[in-house]
Amino acid sequence: MEGASYQRFPTVKIRELKDDYCKFELHSTDASLANALRRVMIAEVPTVAIDLVEIEVNSSVLNDEFIAHRLGLIPLTSDRAMSMRFSRDCDACDGDGQCEFCSVEFHLRAKCINDQTLDVTSKDLYSSDHTVVPVDFSDSGSGIENSEQRGIIIVKLRRGQELRLRAIARKGIGKDHAKWSPAATVTFMYEPEIHINEDMMDTLSLEEKQGWVDSSPTKVFDIDAASQQVVVVDPEAYAYDDEVIKKAEAMGKPGLVEIYAKEDSFIFTVESTGAIKASQLVLNAIDILKQKLDAVRLSEDTVEADEQFGELGAHMRGG
Amino acid sequence: MGLKQDPDGPDASKQQEFDIDKQFLAAPVKSVVDKFQLLPEFLKPIFSFALYHFAHIRYKEVWIGKPSTSIEGAVIELTPHNCRLSDLTYAAPIYVNIEYSNGQKTPPVAKKNVFIGQMPIMLRSCCCVLHRKDEAELARLDINFICILNHMVDITYVILIQEQLSKNRIIIDTDKKGCIQASVMSSTEATKSKTVIKMEKEKIYLYLNQFGTKVPIMAVMKAMGMESDQEVVQMVGRDPRYSALLLPSIEDCASNAVYTQQQALEFLDKKVKKPQYFSASFDKEGKAMAILRDVFVANVPVRQNNFRPKCIYVAVMLRRMMEAILNKDAMDDKDYVGNKRLELSGQLLSLLFEDLFKTMNEELKKTVDGTLEKPSRSSQFDFSRYVKGDSITHGLERTLSTGNWDVKRFKMHRKGMTQVVARLSFIGTLGHMTKISPQFEKSRKVSGPRALQPSQWGMLCPCDTPEGEACGLVKNLALMTHVTTDEEEGPIISLCYCLGVEDLALLSGEELHTQDSYLILLNGLILGKHRRPQRFANAMRKLRRAGKVGEFVSVFVNEKQRCVYIASDGGRVCRPLVIADKGVSRIKEHHMKELLDGVRNFHDFLREGLIEYLDVNEENNALVALYEGEATSETTHVEIEPFTILGVCAGLIPFPHHNQSPRNTYQCAMGKQAMGNIAYNQLRRMDTLIYLLVYPQRPLLTTRTIELVGYDKLGAGQNATVAVMSFSGYDIEDAIVMNKSSLDRGFGRCIVMKKMSAINQKYENTTSDRIIRPQRVGPDAERMQILDDDGLAAPGEIIRPHDIYINRQSPVATRGAMVSPLTLTDKDYKPSIQTYKGPEGETAVVDRVALFSDKSFNLNVKFIIRHTRRPEVGDKFSSRHGQKGVCGTIIQQEDFPFSERGICPDLIMNPHGFPSRMTVGKMIELLGSKAGVSNGKFHYGSAFGEPSGHADRVEAISDTLVKHGFSYSGKDFLYSGITGSPLQAYIFMGPIYYQKLKHMVLDKMHARGSGPRVMITRQPTEGRSRNGGLRVGEMERDCLIAYGASMLIYERLMISSDPFEVQVCRKCGLLGYYNHKLKISICSTCKNGENVSTLKLPYACKLLFQVETGASVNEYCSPLKINRSMILAPLVGTEQFRPKFLNSRFFATVNIFALLNVFNGPYLGRVDWKRPGCSDSSDYALESF
Repeated sequence: MEGASYQRFPTVKIRELKDDYCKFELHSTDASLANALRRVMIAEVPTVAIDLVEIEVNSSVLNDEFIAHRLGLIPLTSDRAMSMRFSRDCDACDGDGQCEFCSVEFHLRAKCINDQTLDVTSKDLYSSDHTVVPVDFSDSGSGIENSEQRGIIIVKLRRGQELRLRAIARKGIGKDHAKWSPAATVTFMYEPEIHINEDMMDTLSLEEKQGWVDSSPTKVFDIDAASQQVVVVDPEAYAYDDEVIKKAEAMGKPGLVEIYAKEDSFIFTVESTGAIKASQLVLNAIDILKQKLDAVRLSEDTVEADEQFGELGAHMRGG
Repeated sequence: MGLKQDPDGPDASKQQEFDIDKQFLAAPVKSVVDKFQLLPEFLKPIFSFALYHFAHIRYKEVWIGKPSTSIEGAVIELTPHNCRLSDLTYAAPIYVNIEYSNGQKTPPVAKKNVFIGQMPIMLRSCCCVLHRKDEAELARLDINFICILNHMVDITYVILIQEQLSKNRIIIDTDKKGCIQASVMSSTEATKSKTVIKMEKEKIYLYLNQFGTKVPIMAVMKAMGMESDQEVVQMVGRDPRYSALLLPSIEDCASNAVYTQQQALEFLDKKVKKPQYFSASFDKEGKAMAILRDVFVANVPVRQNNFRPKCIYVAVMLRRMMEAILNKDAMDDKDYVGNKRLELSGQLLSLLFEDLFKTMNEELKKTVDGTLEKPSRSSQFDFSRYVKGDSITHGLERTLSTGNWDVKRFKMHRKGMTQVVARLSFIGTLGHMTKISPQFEKSRKVSGPRALQPSQWGMLCPCDTPEGEACGLVKNLALMTHVTTDEEEGPIISLCYCLGVEDLALLSGEELHTQDSYLILLNGLILGKHRRPQRFANAMRKLRRAGKVGEFVSVFVNEKQRCVYIASDGGRVCRPLVIADKGVSRIKEHHMKELLDGVRNFHDFLREGLIEYLDVNEENNALVALYEGEATSETTHVEIEPFTILGVCAGLIPFPHHNQSPRNTYQCAMGKQAMGNIAYNQLRRMDTLIYLLVYPQRPLLTTRTIELVGYDKLGAGQNATVAVMSFSGYDIEDAIVMNKSSLDRGFGRCIVMKKMSAINQKYENTTSDRIIRPQRVGPDAERMQILDDDGLAAPGEIIRPHDIYINRQSPVATRGAMVSPLTLTDKDYKPSIQTYKGPEGETAVVDRVALFSDKSFNLNVKFIIRHTRRPEVGDKFSSRHGQKGVCGTIIQQEDFPFSERGICPDLIMNPHGFPSRMTVGKMIELLGSKAGVSNGKFHYGSAFGEPSGHADRVEAISDTLVKHGFSYSGKDFLYSGITGSPLQAYIFMGPIYYQKLKHMVLDKMHARGSGPRVMITRQPTEGRSRNGGLRVGEMERDCLIAYGASMLIYERLMISSDPFEVQVCRKCGLLGYYNHKLKISICSTCKNGENVSTLKLPYACKLLFQVETGASVNEYCSPLKINRSMILAPLVGTEQFRPKFLNSRFFATVNIFALLNVFNGPYLGRVDWKRPGCSDSSDYALESF
């Protein structure tokens, strides 16, 4: 049996890169890898999030669990998360998860003393570790600086109300709780390949062309003002809705356009919660994916299962 | 144009809301006060007391003070909130000014401010502290809604609106046999009676309770002075057909030799039922005369023995009957809303009050008589000291809390008039206020009253009715409905005469029914006739619109009956309509502008005659156009808005007019179970159970009703992104698949708050309970962790099951001689702690602790325990379209499908929910919400709102969707989260408002291995709350028998239930006993132990044998053959012989019917008990199945 090599060499082309946003193309691979990457980004890239809250005083309108839940969902800068330990396998502390290797302590003290409502926000959280702080959105925006913006609101206090608490943030993954997921949006789409049958298109009048172009809910096609030719302006805007194809059929011109999804290239959109940079999120995901594959490859089960898997097992070990 | 934008106006909305409330608010207390204003009428007899003939008391004025209570002499003003917290009745004192004379010939003494009782106050009524407070002020006062609050427990009661047939109106219908009858339910301040005139075998008879048998109507007429048959015929009408129908009755009368009034009275006297007690008036005038005067059609007054109005009334009744005989269409429909009256709390309360007031006066008379009889009195006689308010206070409280209205005078014994107000959700509370309870008992299997009546249009909600036995009988008010209260008749009567009504007294019988005239009736009473009825009606209406007559007076010209009905009585339902002159609406553009600007409001419109209230009858004279554009020159009115035909509950549904109708009905029931916000003061309330949502939202697809009732501020649900697709197989049968990340982020998260209370009891020997410092060391220390040093659980502490939340001790001796509490030592107290019983393994938090003293001055402690829950598999959710489903599974977000925009649904719903349910409204809701989130606007879906712009059209929604890059159809191209490949189909996805319903797995989950047993039968207990067993019932048992799984039956019904070993004598077959001293078994009948064997039986079986022995029935057991003594066997099956315990339930064991089968076996022909192969003698008690 001659084992055909399935090895491919995926390439990545970065289109856009911002702190919390990243758009890239992934070529020469298939959906399984693209999806694995997406899944890891959502569920398995570790971050740090508040996990334990000790409330000293809470006279606010929201109850303790409510506030604890809100605190947990605040994204914390987690660049250090990859090197941190999970508190469950931390050997520096006896599993209580309160040592510097596996946790970060936060304090919050807020009291409203005047008649104006006091907004307690993520900026009122004081961290014991300057590398792990609540995500600050105010200066990340490239546009207008908004001095009013004061972080993520936790609770509002009226005169006399007070909130005092200690919170412990720990490393975790999105699979356990969504608060540890660094990804706000991770999605991909197949890159569409659009072929307009120019000959057939030429048979259409301008109104017909316009009608056809307008039939797409997204702006994929347009009419070139000079040549009055239908051109593809943004293939990625195409949402695989088949509207233009149906329209063409309704016009009695089936085959006017042919649209395929390129099965080996994907356009990824990654938005981060701010916990880690979007680019780092992708890199971490790749690292974790590798680790996981290593774990499969090196585990005893795999060796034992060699007989069962035969070629595949050897292939996996061989890399 | 028109009133299209009407509800837009902020003032309009407030006004309409106010209108909904008004009927619950204004009525009760005021009408009681009104009643007092009528006092001289019904309390005319000055109280004269037995000995002192001149002693009397006279009530002058009456008023209700501020809600307050007196505690140890100090008067404390009450607010509803304080009452709720401290279990007090929200009541206000009733004061009177009296004038009395002590019987000496001295001038009467006046005394002011005499307290006669406490009146429970309806919230926001005119006596309530919340009266006329606007929303902001209410919020500041931390108090909210409507209702009467009541005693002992912090329960608020609502007096249901009662539906009844009209009083004092002639109703023509048929009896069971098909005879046509005219009936009148007369109800006056003094009496209540029912008069029925029936046509039987062509003769007409009167049925009246006071007459033992039916009475020929002509005899009655003669007895009332209508000696001339001709006059009767004239009164009924000169149409020969009428006289032909009357002829047999006239002949019948003549055959009885009744010609004169005297003869007629004598004839009737014989028919009178023997009175149970002897009354003076009966004797003097002849009984029949008195009955005819006071009971027979009592609503027609007889002044100075002038029976003529009554005769005419009877003649009109006869005429209507005959019309119905000649033409079946003239029959009245009992289910017609115009023939119904809704009794509000005010009417009910005033009835009750009247009764209690009379009782109080009787008591007063008795005590005063007693006092005055005593010869020597040192102090000045003071009447007011004998006026005791207790009977009124307690009477009112008792009636309100039990809901049993027992008014002796009116022979009223009604149950279930009040209900504990549903505080589960805001909509539930509001919906409860609009509920109308039926007059019929629910068990009747009739379809007529349950059917939707066309006359319900705009008055009663067509959707909101429960399922099951009360379906169609329990109704709810529509949004704009107003229920009238009684209005004074006097001014209307004189007005009618001014407008040219010819007085009845001046008319001869002949003139009554002339061709060119109509009869004028006011509240069922004939005033006279008018020659130009239409003109008269128009004049009345004009006066009403001008505000000269009450706005709720209705004028109805009935062309068929040639009558004009004027109604000013209470309990009619009516609704506002825009007046149109020849098809042109009176509301012009500038009016609407002023409304929007807040310059004018709804009431101004009413006052200016732009809008008027029409009741169901008057609607028949109106031609109402749905929209102004559809008006023709005949149109008299224009609808305000079509969505107002729905009530509050149905008003929440977006696009209800696109749904299959039962779905809307289901939603009306389910909306009341939805969790969310219940009130602005929800976190300050100490209710026994509150369900709250952590992040309640306002629906993306809203309706005008939602805005009007304030559901947008107190929502009960969340906008979930729903993908309609099949996923994982855990979504069959309406189950929904939920996204774990959504749940992590707070979707469907709820707070359950439960109240626990404890009383620090005082005892008769002056000792009392004590709450002491907790033990910090020792065996109980761990369970006392959450206690503060004061012995009470501290707010904020985490409480687990079996934790102690109050460390209380009770004295050992609580009775007998007085003991000073100071002398008691620790030894004299025994612990009486209370422990938290919650779901095992779950923790909750002590939210609040409140201390207060109750009525008997015991210290009460209330603990609120809070439990935050996230949705789990089995929790129930529902959209607003009657589509409920449980959470089938929870799946990680990465496995969920996603779109190329990165949108991932919160939940997945199976598309099979759509075809059979036909909830198109839900689909439109999804589209509309999706468009709403795209363009940042709330879309509307009010019922029938498309033409007026209160609902968005699908076309417009689709355009919005396309504009934002979605498919017009609402479908998205999704990728599988598991494989990453595109899904085969486009998925219909968008936000739908989902409600979390109160049914949660955590509260229902139940399983048991071994556990508690019932004392008498030794079988497992029943019910989750008692950690009971699961019953193998008769049907399950039958299955096992059919299958032949005898060992399983044996195991289930005996081993796992109540196995017991008995000693049986093989010789006599009776039960013996085991003597532990001698270590032998003995048969007590044979007096020896020679033939005794042991036998396993279910304990319940042994018990049965013993109970039967007590009833001298003996069961004989034999190892070879089951023999029974048949002496009394057949009797056991009958009720009289069945011991009481046999009626109780038997669990997971031989149930009693099975046992009786054993017993009755031979009689039922089941002789062959023994199956081959079952020889083990210990089996046979069960084997017999």
